[in-house]
Amino acid sequence: MKDVQDAQERQLDDAAQGPTPPLRAERPGLTNAALGAAGLAGFLALCEAVSRVGIVSDDYFPPVSRIADALVTELGDQAFWTALGDTLTGWALGLAIAVTAGILVGVVIAVVPYLREVTASTIEFLRPIPSVALIPLAVLLYGTELRSVLLLVVYASFWQVLIQTLYGVQDVDPVAEETARSYGLGTWARIRHVLWPSALPYVMTGVRLAAAVALILAITAELVIGAPGLGQRIAVAQTSQAVPEMYALVVVTGVLGLLINVGARTVERRALAWHQSVRGEVAV
Amino acid sequence: MRRLLICVAAGAVFVAATACGSSDSSGSGGEDKGSGGTTTLKVGVIPILDVAPVYLGQKKGFYAERGLKLELVPAQGGAAIVPGVLNGQYQFGFSNTTSLLVAQSKNVPLKAVANGVASTAKEGADFMGTTVKKGSPIKSPKQLEGKKVAVNTLNNICDTSIRESVRKDGGDPSKVKFVEMPFPQMPAALDGGQVDAACTPEPSLATVKAAGGKSIASSFYDVDPNLTVAMYFTSQQYAQKNPELVKKFQEATAESLKYADSHPDEVREILTTYTKIPSTLLEKLTLPHWPAEPDRASIQRLAELAKQDGLFKETPDLDKLLP
Repeated sequence: MKDVQDAQERQLDDAAQGPTPPLRAERPGLTNAALGAAGLAGFLALCEAVSRVGIVSDDYFPPVSRIADALVTELGDQAFWTALGDTLTGWALGLAIAVTAGILVGVVIAVVPYLREVTASTIEFLRPIPSVALIPLAVLLYGTELRSVLLLVVYASFWQVLIQTLYGVQDVDPVAEETARSYGLGTWARIRHVLWPSALPYVMTGVRLAAAVALILAITAELVIGAPGLGQRIAVAQTSQAVPEMYALVVVTGVLGLLINVGARTVERRALAWHQSVRGEVAV
Repeated sequence: MRRLLICVAAGAVFVAATACGSSDSSGSGGEDKGSGGTTTLKVGVIPILDVAPVYLGQKKGFYAERGLKLELVPAQGGAAIVPGVLNGQYQFGFSNTTSLLVAQSKNVPLKAVANGVASTAKEGADFMGTTVKKGSPIKSPKQLEGKKVAVNTLNNICDTSIRESVRKDGGDPSKVKFVEMPFPQMPAALDGGQVDAACTPEPSLATVKAAGGKSIASSFYDVDPNLTVAMYFTSQQYAQKNPELVKKFQEATAESLKYADSHPDEVREILTTYTKIPSTLLEKLTLPHWPAEPDRASIQRLAELAKQDGLFKETPDLDKLLP
């Protein structure tokens, strides 16, 4: 295996140094980054122009430069970092609970006979209920504390993980399953060595989706209920008619979403390093 | 991967244990502790200028000298504060008078304990104005007939008082169409022509005026020049159990209100600590009036108008509600 890899790397090296370097091997990362940066710069310039030219009033949509100004002020404020910490705490705790519960419940439903049939309609009934519709319940139960944020975050992201786990378990190769059985592997061993590796790609997709959904719900909860965090800060800025500050915070939430997505993809790639979808170059 | 999972599982168990196990934390604070020690009181407030006196009073030590420490928790409106007070998460809360009247008419066990904020008693210079955009043909409340007016909550203090403005101007209030919209969005909605008029308290009022808009009526003033617009309240249960603490809170709040009323500069300064009102607007704000006591006659009047508008079936019992 190692030899094969070495040989491949040598081939690539050779190709890169050769007289006609293949375009795709050398430049994709750089080109993509450049294109991405250009796209973002263009977008920012458009935003700046839209309010400078007066297509929308700059009272309600200030130019990017003013938002950037407000952002810098915001970053220098201790309270901003506390709010960021509060938001991330709600997000991380909620996501951890949802992922653990989603995987456990998913595997149990899949392994225990008939449980899937019994729960299917209930899951399909509960899953489409928008988490934000539970805000009144959260407020009644927990007021404006972290726990009401957690309720919303967990409810929204749990289903993402659960559904993906169920699909993943369904995708187990029956031949592999039968083989494991005929070799006398017990339930736990079959979960560990057959079911889990087959389901993992699905589970990781669920986790990635859940990570994004959890952030959305954490900020929504803070914004609507007033639980401490970035969302609440946005609400205060809004109530105070501090428009650039509000957009600056909105930008922060966007960046946060971006980082979380990149992070989730990295975790996914690490966890699935062995899987065909990741080590695509040796696919047959 | 396995280590990652173990971490996740351990984290989840930890959270479940702390999150579900500690429901006692919400009830802490606010038991009578006799003389000496300091009692921490959680007060649910809305981060707007109306509550500046308690922030100022806290800073000035009016609460501390009575052995009280306030933890002011900003929340998004009465919908979050009322349940918070009822389930003991907050000991006190801030709410507009109409919401308290509606709650009382439904026998929700609330008790107003101190005045919150009142109309300035100056027509044309109140902290809430019914505003129209620059160049609007609407010049008087009567012309709102058939027009769309933005209020923050339907069937609440805004529409009741705007209806009264229309009525006093000789118009038919039933012909005004009200739409619901948060205060901060109103200036943009007026400018964009989505609504014809809006119920704008400060700082939305100053924003509208800065954009060239005009106030066509001081609707709180039209209900009563001294209208008690909002009050601090607690649950009846808490008031019965902790009469001493409630009394201290009342005294300290009355002192804070009086102080805020006579020190507008300090009010503007304290606003920068818990709101983000831009300095350009800060100077232009019309500050409300903060009398030490609620004005019973004005609340009575508000209740009559609200009854007329069909906000409640049972007339609220002011003796039970007011301090």
